[in-house]
Amino acid sequence: MSSAAPVASPPGGTAGTGPAAAGGTSPPGGRRRARRRRQARVGLLFAAPMLLLFAVFRFGPVLGAVLLSLTDYRLSGEWTFIGFENYTRLGGDDLFWDSLRVTLLYVVIFVPLTVLMSLATAAMLHQVVWRRGLFRGIFFLPYVTSIVLAAVIWKWIYDAEDGLVNGLLGLASLGPVDFLGRGELVLPSIALTSAWKGFGYSMLILLAGLQAIPRSYTEAAMIDGAGPWQRFRHVTLPLLRPVLFFVMVIETITAFQVFDAMYVMTGGGPVRSSFSLVYMLYDSGFKFFDFGYASAIGLVIFVFVLGVSLVQRRFLGRED
Amino acid sequence: MAASRAASRTGRLTLPVLLVLTAIVTITPFAAMVLVAFAPESGQTFPDALIPDRITFANFEHVLSSSDVPRWTLNSLIFSFVSVVLILLFASMAGYAFAKKRFPGRDALFWALLATLMVPFQATLIPSYILVSRLGGVDTYWGMIVPTLANVQAIFLMRQFIVQLPDELFEAAEMDGASEWRIFTTIVLPLVRPALATLGVFVFLWHWNDFLWPLVIGQSGEMQTLTVGLATLQSENVPINQIMAGATITVVPSLLVFGLLQRYLTDSIAMTGLKG
Repeated sequence: MSSAAPVASPPGGTAGTGPAAAGGTSPPGGRRRARRRRQARVGLLFAAPMLLLFAVFRFGPVLGAVLLSLTDYRLSGEWTFIGFENYTRLGGDDLFWDSLRVTLLYVVIFVPLTVLMSLATAAMLHQVVWRRGLFRGIFFLPYVTSIVLAAVIWKWIYDAEDGLVNGLLGLASLGPVDFLGRGELVLPSIALTSAWKGFGYSMLILLAGLQAIPRSYTEAAMIDGAGPWQRFRHVTLPLLRPVLFFVMVIETITAFQVFDAMYVMTGGGPVRSSFSLVYMLYDSGFKFFDFGYASAIGLVIFVFVLGVSLVQRRFLGRED
Repeated sequence: MAASRAASRTGRLTLPVLLVLTAIVTITPFAAMVLVAFAPESGQTFPDALIPDRITFANFEHVLSSSDVPRWTLNSLIFSFVSVVLILLFASMAGYAFAKKRFPGRDALFWALLATLMVPFQATLIPSYILVSRLGGVDTYWGMIVPTLANVQAIFLMRQFIVQLPDELFEAAEMDGASEWRIFTTIVLPLVRPALATLGVFVFLWHWNDFLWPLVIGQSGEMQTLTVGLATLQSENVPINQIMAGATITVVPSLLVFGLLQRYLTDSIAMTGLKG
């Protein structure tokens, strides 16, 4: 399908400088120039399938997203240029502000939860040598599954009538609590599901970070009479900060893209209290076929993710 | 004296006990899924579901015969395996070019590819969908597969591996008059086998578990993948035992891959930080 395509044309700019720079020096220069030209041809040929795929399915859609957001593109394919109207419409759309609030609240709940879960398990694994591989595997297990699977299982766990948690609460004559049916509980419940699914990744990164800290540092603190908590607080944590920061950024970006779990567990409810930005994008696009408007929401999500990445770059640049 | 020794022993045991408890809590959802999947129809509520009076395969039989689960499994397998093969091939070719060949604009192109990591997939979902649908790719395998092949992490990982291979190797082969394609298939590919294996596992898991893209492209029941189908099943009035049976079927390939390559997978995340 995608093969058999012509070589992607090299971008302009740097293309012109090659031959001039290599220009006639000594006799072997001609051979060298031929070799260089062959290299360039082979290089482009080998990179061609990926470059073509990127041109069509990655750069194309990025450009398309910007252009679409300035139109009122509909299902029929008809469109007119409407400038920034989609963006001003977003500004006056309560649904948008609601979903932005939901997304930010979710970020604020999910990120500390995941980072704490991964840090706690990584710290435990770092200390305990007994069966470390087995435990590491167990904590990593949910990461290899899909968030849809996690959502399906946890939806039952949270179920008000049949679920595991309410069953246990029932044994203690408590509850039932409708975790997914109450506005103030739905986001923490979904965040816990996603954290369960994903904390294994950050745990591995943090564990690698912990193991990179020279033992002599904590040993020195121990000789000075520092207890385990003090050693962790004043020696380990500061040294771990760059890794911790990386993990926070990665998880923040993940949280901004939350959708699957909400789609499966709550359908955005109750009363839109789990209706995230991506959910709104999906609904505008594939329920109302308001493609231009949906693209504008996509760009808002992009701006948030870009902002988080830039903050990371700035801070990490300063740390090292 | 004795008391303090006892105290230090409990102190030493605290962490392992805590670790075991955390591990049990982590696995509980999986255990619950399997138990409910094997429980008879009556076992849908908590105590009966986890302590069923008998074990039955009826839920699996039901879900495999009355729903599209077999078809969805086939779709997921095609989506995942074809993507793995094509991404491994194209990414190692591109990785070789970016690592060992000079061509005009090479570095600028590489940075442009890396920059796309900054753009979340959701931001380009709509234009990607319109593009594929204009090309007639909705509800087709190629429409589902081809757009996912443009994978930056794959190129990046392959480039990092191939850059480390000594140049003399290629120069010698070139002297012997080997064609570039021959050099690529007989020297590069065998030497980067560990990278290919790592990447293959990740691409498989990313695709097997993917949701949003298969959801919008595979719209008809026939073309849904297992994850999408599972979401569909549970939004309909299917008994929870059967949903859990479907969930168990969905998770088996991931667990197989994980079980076989656990060490490998966890080590490579710690080293390369690959994330889907």
